[in-house]
Amino acid sequence: MEMVWEPKILAFLCNWCSYAGADLAGTSRIQYPPNIRVIRVPCSGRINPLFILKALQNGVDGVLVSGCHPGDCHYLSGNYVGRRKSATLKRFIEFLGLEEGRVQFSWVSAAEGGKFSQVVHEVTEEVKKLGPAKRFVKKSS
Amino acid sequence: MTLKLDKKDFHSFLQNLMNDYELFAPVQVAEGVAVYKKIEHPLEAARFSLNPQKPAKEVFFPQSETMFRYGKVGVKTEVTSTEKVERKRILLGARPCDLQAVSLLDEIFQGREYSDPYYINKRQATTVIGMGCSQPLSTCFCSSMEGGPFSRNHSDIFLIDLGEAYLVEVLTEKGKAFEKNPFFKKATQKDLKAAKSIEKNASNQVGAILSLEGIERKLDQMIESPFWDRVQERCIGCRVCTYLCPTCHCFDIADETLTTKGQRVRNWDSCLSSLYSQETSGHNPRPTNRERTRQRLMHKFNYFPKNVGRIACVGCGRCVLYCPADLDIRETIKEIQKG
Amino acid sequence: MIQEKLRQKARELLESKAVDLVIGFGEGSLPLRVSPVFIRNPHEVDRLVWNSFCRQNLSTYLHKFKSLKIGLVVKGCDSRSVVALSLEKRFKPDQLFLIGVPCQRMVDHRRVKRAVQGEILHVSEQGDELIVEGKDFKTRLNRKDFLYPSCQVCVHRNPVRADLLMGEVVEEFSLLETHPDMKGFLNKGVEERWDYFEKETGRCIRCYACREACPMCYCPECFVDNSNPKWMEQGLSPSDLEFYHIVRAYHQTGRCTACGACERACPMEIRLTYMTEKLNQDVKELFGFETGVDPQASSPLSTFDVEDQQEFIK
Repeated sequence: MEMVWEPKILAFLCNWCSYAGADLAGTSRIQYPPNIRVIRVPCSGRINPLFILKALQNGVDGVLVSGCHPGDCHYLSGNYVGRRKSATLKRFIEFLGLEEGRVQFSWVSAAEGGKFSQVVHEVTEEVKKLGPAKRFVKKSS
Repeated sequence: MTLKLDKKDFHSFLQNLMNDYELFAPVQVAEGVAVYKKIEHPLEAARFSLNPQKPAKEVFFPQSETMFRYGKVGVKTEVTSTEKVERKRILLGARPCDLQAVSLLDEIFQGREYSDPYYINKRQATTVIGMGCSQPLSTCFCSSMEGGPFSRNHSDIFLIDLGEAYLVEVLTEKGKAFEKNPFFKKATQKDLKAAKSIEKNASNQVGAILSLEGIERKLDQMIESPFWDRVQERCIGCRVCTYLCPTCHCFDIADETLTTKGQRVRNWDSCLSSLYSQETSGHNPRPTNRERTRQRLMHKFNYFPKNVGRIACVGCGRCVLYCPADLDIRETIKEIQKG
Repeated sequence: MIQEKLRQKARELLESKAVDLVIGFGEGSLPLRVSPVFIRNPHEVDRLVWNSFCRQNLSTYLHKFKSLKIGLVVKGCDSRSVVALSLEKRFKPDQLFLIGVPCQRMVDHRRVKRAVQGEILHVSEQGDELIVEGKDFKTRLNRKDFLYPSCQVCVHRNPVRADLLMGEVVEEFSLLETHPDMKGFLNKGVEERWDYFEKETGRCIRCYACREACPMCYCPECFVDNSNPKWMEQGLSPSDLEFYHIVRAYHQTGRCTACGACERACPMEIRLTYMTEKLNQDVKELFGFETGVDPQASSPLSTFDVEDQQEFIK
């Protein structure tokens, strides 16, 4: 049987909104592609750009960072600060030559199980189009 | 035995060598920037117009070298050695300063106390084709360091650039294996004369201007000298001078593991980095740049002479040329000598 | 003459004990180079020089002197670094006396070297000309043709903060529309851009001269040296070199003053300022921020605006 390539996508989900959103999708039996591997973080502002870069270096095909909608941050402004980091990092690595779409961002609240599913669908589709990550991936010896 | 090699045959000559040998030569990696590298195609070899930024030590002692690999195969763990050198090698175009430096590394890596198979195997597998330095720079001070732009020491074959051709001197048994190379012709008297004059010219340019006499004893008295405060002041604490130094040879060993497989690697390290001397507890016996810059100079001009009887500087001038803060080791030496 | 004024001011400052130490540029041992000098004694002020080769950013040395009062010679970019560092509370407010010099844009000694055959043994300046001499040549070159890329696009030649200005204020304008290494770069495809990045970083020897030369790189432990978490290995794998250069540059987001010290320090001549230039452009476009220009404005990544752009977020 021919092996079909499926992208591996690392998702950093904030504890208070997006992670709960993913939970809601699960309990509501809303389906989404099994391509994501979830790491729960306290806040999208907790994302050190090194996390994203390290994931890409380790060979994931895409990274998704998802947090609370603006105004909803459990820590009041974590997602706002994170938004600035996200914007500059995304622009920078795409400028250097990583494909647009390898790193994606979303706002998903605890009540948005459907949106979570939709985001994962979209991200998976887009990363699939890009194909397996080649640049920047560390080749094992 | 003196031969010559026409420059128009140079690339064919390299191709010929590459049939039987792995060839390491200066390769240009950007405009004006070169390193010693294994070449895959004769055209890659730079025409030695400048002494590469990175010294020839890299051929025997790579900046990052795998010592062995390990991995799980089924239930067993397999270890693969990387000690062996599969093919014979040639180091082409190395300057006398770099080769003198290699002879200093020999003292460490095949010394009395310790012999390092990684280094020795590469060294033994390699024939060295040295290259006379016909246009030394004003930063060169090899003649003050027991060398000279045309020192034949440690070359198996020695080339002198005559313009249209290279004069080829076969110096050792290892070098003799190349005598029959189809691209070598007999050198004429005229060639020999031209080479003599080029050599004389270059040697005149690099005078023995620095006096190193007694520097070891002077430094013995200087451990706590305020002199080091001044030396360190300008130094920004990067590693340029140590990594580009042909005699610096410190390394750090690390295991790089990835799930079920990995490798042990040794990487160049530098006494100018604070991490170099930091202990697990967090204590650092060389806490500031003062102790670290002192260490670099002490190692070259005091500890190394104490251990093996030679000074660990060959006067290549790289640290002078590439220091971001324009520190000049020649001036430091002069100041030490003044006391 | 600026140089004379500099020396005189340094003498005054040291004699009146207004400062303990003057950090400035001094004669280098090689032509086309200057070397930082540290002057404590008023009799030594004649070691100070000012010419077109003052390429270093001296504010990087401030981290070494926590308790001294320092007179620091600053160009436009260096003064911006001082402002940015004050923002990060790297020194006490009254610890510094800034001796500002409006900058004539600095000359890249490597470019000059390439313009002539043979080794340059002596150089002097006459107006806009460099008179370059070697063993058997002497040529006149137009200094404008040999400027550093970051200097070609500089619009902050006058120190933004200085306690005293040496020389006349200069007119602020960029010589080029875009940074020379950026020109044409953005029209390149993503593949080509990555190839360029890979080729540049591929010759990195991890000497960290870029890091050490940068006044803003002062973390007590750099991420490359962390062992727990260990972000990267110490070897030369292309991916690790890329990792280092992405993060080194990115950590300068909103902190880089485009002084070019990183690129000038690199012994392998890796193009580095095209990266920081991009970051600076983005920060300006997204947050209207320019590093070290407004001493009150906080660093863009340490703050936020509710109305920040977010069209890239799903």
